[in-house]
Formats: sequence, structure tokens, C-alpha cells
Amino acid sequence: MKLRVVEVAANLMLKNDALAAKLRARFAADGTLVVNLLSSPGSGKTALLEETLGRLSRTYRVAGLVGDQATANDAERLARSGAPVRQISTASECRLDAGMIAKALSGWELPRLDALFIENVGNLICPAEYDLGEDLRVVLLSVTEGEDKPLKYPLAFNTAQLALVTKIDIAEAVGFDRAAAAASIEAVHPGMDVLELSTRSGRGIDAWLALLERRIAAKALIPAG
Amino acid sequence: MHEVSVALGLIEAIRNVAGEQNIERVAAVNVRIGALSGIVREALLFSWDVATAGTLAAGSELRVEEIPLIVFCEYCEGERDPRPGSGLICPECGTPAPRIVRGREMQLVSLEVPA
Repeated sequence: MKLRVVEVAANLMLKNDALAAKLRARFAADGTLVVNLLSSPGSGKTALLEETLGRLSRTYRVAGLVGDQATANDAERLARSGAPVRQISTASECRLDAGMIAKALSGWELPRLDALFIENVGNLICPAEYDLGEDLRVVLLSVTEGEDKPLKYPLAFNTAQLALVTKIDIAEAVGFDRAAAAASIEAVHPGMDVLELSTRSGRGIDAWLALLERRIAAKALIPAG
Repeated sequence: MHEVSVALGLIEAIRNVAGEQNIERVAAVNVRIGALSGIVREALLFSWDVATAGTLAAGSELRVEEIPLIVFCEYCEGERDPRPGSGLICPECGTPAPRIVRGREMQLVSLEVPA
């Protein structure tokens, strides 16, 4: 059989990127700060969001979207914060994409939000590829993980603007090497903002919330188109 | 890790091209996958037969070109390939080189179709 070659050169991420751009325009018009949280399973995304939504919802209109492959446990935990929370069941998918965010938002009766927090699926590889229209991508690294995680998953740390070193209250007990972790973050994202915190001891939480409040204020100031 | 959805994305892109150009059957598909794309070549190849079953790409050969990670080193003013597992460090001068030039590709490059 004679064959001919058809040149295509199509970027498979274009569809997601186009949807993410639409979401970004919508969030800009609403003045809603969007935060995308990335980490390995068990780094403390849910605990941090529980605390964050609970504290911020006293002053701001905030909501959460939680990606989970199998269970609704995280969404149920977050709903206790009092903020509206919706679960996105990703089934076999290892990450959230912009289409899933748009779908979850449609038909959800929400006031105009000051901030929307997205808890991505626990995974440092695939979520890094998918723009969700967020303003702030945050990557969590707990002290119980290897200090070289940024070297193993460079894209997650390269594309995030902020790294949170979580469970810092047990750093000493698990022999966390702060200098080694800082060096591996620096190797993939020089000058990256890093905050150490613990939802258990409360250390660093005020600094995290203050940062979010500054970002919420900055986003709200942008006049709607 | 998301090879099945990548395969489905490829099929959708193939369908779009086929629709525009009246292509009824695809014999081979050439794709380009970057080292940082999170796609495992073997897993993508493994999922291909199942994903394409019943489509115009059924039975087609999937050819995967793997693109290594290339960064731009500001200090050396050149493109460099970091050693695996070293992060985004220039292998020549040892400074961080966070500008990724290649390695994030997820591309449908071309199709081979009956002439």
C-alpha cells in the first residue's frame, strides 16, 4: 500500500490552554484569586486547605474544588470549614484539567468569590502540565518526603510560584535537611518563594494567610472589563 | 501517567485533521513527547491499540520520538542538557538554568495515510 505523509504539528495541550485562558478571563472579570495546590499524596494539601478555608471564610467569600481519583473524603473534610466545597471525581485521570474546572463551576450556585482554592490530585507529574487558569500555583513539600523531590519533579517546582514546606513541626524528629531542600528548590527555580509551615503547630500559617490576603486584595483591585 | 487520556487526545486531533482533509484511514501516527511531559512511552504504546479500536486509526502504528530535556544557561549563553536527576542545573558551569527550551512537548507531528 502506498502511503503519503500528512504534516499536522498539533500541540496536544492547546485545547487545555485555550480553556484555561477562558477561565482566567472569567476570574479576572470577577476579581477572583485562584490558587492551584500541587503535591504528592500525603503532603498536607487537605489539612492546609481546611485551615485556610476556615480562617479566610470569616472575612472573605472563598470556595474549594477538590480533585480526587476515588473518594469524597477530602471534600467532606473541607466542607467542615463552612466554605462551599465541590468534589471533582477524576476517576482514572491523574490530574485536573481546565475542562474539569469549567464543568465543576457551571451550575454551582456561588456568590462572586474573592478566592477559589483548587486542590489538585496528589501527584507531582501530570498536574504540572495543566494550566487551570490559576493566578498562583503552590507546590507543597512535606518534611517527611525526600529533600531531593524538586530534582525528581522539576516541572512542578519550576512552574509553581510558591513552595510550602509543610509539617515543619516534626522536621527535627524526621531529620529533615533544610539546606538540602533549599538547594534542590534553588536548582529548579532560583529565587523561588518558600514558606515553612505546620497546620498542627500553627507555625507559618499567619504568613501564608497574609500572603493570600495581599493577593486577594491585589486581584480585587483589577477593574472588571 | 495519563497515557490513556493522551491517546484519546491524539485520536481527537487525528479526527480533526481527517475531517478537514477527507482522510478515512490512518496507517501510522508520529508523535513527539518531551522528557518532562510525564508520559511514559511504553505505556502510551501499550494503550494505543485499545484506545484506537473502532476509530480511523485502528491498527495504526504509533511512532514516538522522545525529546530530551534542554535548558538555556544564561551564564554560558547556550543550550545545555542537564544530567538526569540534577534538576535544571547547567552541566557545564553548575548554575541553575530554569529556562526550559525543550522537553515539554506533547505533539502530534504527522500522519501517514493511504495515498
